[in-house]
Amino acid sequence: MAAIEIKNLVKSFGPVKAVDGVSFSVEAGSVTGYLGPNGAGKTTTLRSLLGLVTPDSGEALVNGRRYVALPRPVTEVGAVLEATNFHPGRTARNHLRVLCTAAGLPGSRADEALEQVGLADAADKRVLGFSLGMRQRLALASALLGRPRVYILDEPANGLDPAGIEWLRGFLRHLAHVEGAAVLVSSHVLAEVEQTVDNVVIIAKGRLVRQGSLAELTSNGERVIRVRSAQAADLAPALETAGGMVERVEDGLLRVRGLDAETIGRVALDRRIVVTEVTQERSDLQTVFLELTEGR
Amino acid sequence: MSLIPGLVRAELRKLFTTRLWWIMLIVTLLLVGMYLGFFMAFAGVSQDGGAMPELDTPQWTEIAWATGASTGIFVMILGVVMMTSEYRYQTITGTFLVTPRRGLVIVAKLLAGLIVGALFALAVLVFEAVTVIPAVTLAGGEFSPSASRVPQISLGIVATLTLYAVFGIGLGALVRNQIGGIVAAVVWSYVIEGIFTGIPALHGVGKWLPAGAAQALMSIDLDTGLGRPEWLPAWAGALVLVGYGLVFAAVAAATTVRRDIT
Repeated sequence: MAAIEIKNLVKSFGPVKAVDGVSFSVEAGSVTGYLGPNGAGKTTTLRSLLGLVTPDSGEALVNGRRYVALPRPVTEVGAVLEATNFHPGRTARNHLRVLCTAAGLPGSRADEALEQVGLADAADKRVLGFSLGMRQRLALASALLGRPRVYILDEPANGLDPAGIEWLRGFLRHLAHVEGAAVLVSSHVLAEVEQTVDNVVIIAKGRLVRQGSLAELTSNGERVIRVRSAQAADLAPALETAGGMVERVEDGLLRVRGLDAETIGRVALDRRIVVTEVTQERSDLQTVFLELTEGR
Repeated sequence: MSLIPGLVRAELRKLFTTRLWWIMLIVTLLLVGMYLGFFMAFAGVSQDGGAMPELDTPQWTEIAWATGASTGIFVMILGVVMMTSEYRYQTITGTFLVTPRRGLVIVAKLLAGLIVGALFALAVLVFEAVTVIPAVTLAGGEFSPSASRVPQISLGIVATLTLYAVFGIGLGALVRNQIGGIVAAVVWSYVIEGIFTGIPALHGVGKWLPAGAAQALMSIDLDTGLGRPEWLPAWAGALVLVGYGLVFAAVAAATTVRRDIT
């Protein structure tokens, strides 16, 4: 049984189909990136999964059940939604203690979770004075309270500084790969999650565009280098001799696999061939993602 | 259902970890103090056929003691805020993530509202005791709970404040906008109820409103100079108040359980 399972999910708001027949699943021990431009339907999918939004049709299951049917949901699922879900006049610790009381967890979990996200020093400060990054950490702390095995995070990197993003990456990888949790993390910025995720699901205009493992989607993990030269016809056999697989795209343009840029440069130098471009091609994932995001 | 006690405690913790509750408590006691000061100043003064009894009479204590019920508006506002701040600060998302069965959240809020209303009523009664009893004694009168019907009036104050907290929560669930909810509460209790329970000609309607029903519960029979009010019998007043409480609770549940939280 998959930790998270979404089957043919459909949800409209008035005339707008926010999510239109999306299906995918997330297994324990892996991080799945849920990617798409703003307004693609990511948040609606996640909120359906969490019982906050009622889907028109289809199913969104956690551990094989609808969220509302989970007897103690915070012990199974940790969720991070927007960074604004706090009363500004309440302290960080009190915010978490309210949740602990409602969930029947001991109040000591509040302090442990604050420690885990590095907010122990700010425990008694009112949320009013928190930066966006601190709010994100507090939101993450509330997801950790029940020690769940499934994490659902909506744009958790928003508002984090580069160090915070790096910390978050390590944290999510640790949860999935060391503790064996299932992690679903949405983002509209590929670069934020590319180094973290094992699997990718791409959505645009409410429809699933592409899904698979990161390795599958990045042209089987092979790097392709574009080489442009007026003497491409002479360069190609030389690169093949050096061990490269060369594809002749058009007059003067080659796509080379199996060699790095430095080797290609040396081969060209040895043959006294002028090269006007040596560029690493974007991976398939980036290409797909950019096509989707730049189109709007 | 075993979840309910924890949820009620969580709701109380929400209220008591923010500042509004004690601001409201101070305002409540200030209002009672203001009324009592006014009644002390005008004790024994008669005007236009109506008269304020002398300070040392049981009738004065009766009227003074009943002022506690006029603070319902503040617990009502507190109830409005208990509900609407969840929407204002989007904490409703976290609340429903912990407890996705929203009906339980509403039940817990209503029970917490009853407790908060009762605590406020208790504070008001203590405040009245420490001001009215010395005032009467100093004026040479004797404080007699039975002659002044203090137990019955106190019960009316507790009933009024607890139920107004419930009204507030129901109103908050219906309106969801914090400012809108507070304005509606003020307009309701000061303008609408004020008119229909203050003007004798309109008592036919006013006696069916919460404020009128609360007056009935306490059976305060004061001629303010505009003629004697005709309230419902005390038991009917109690029934009307409970009926309003149930209606507002049903409104709170119906407007919250199925709505998408986006």
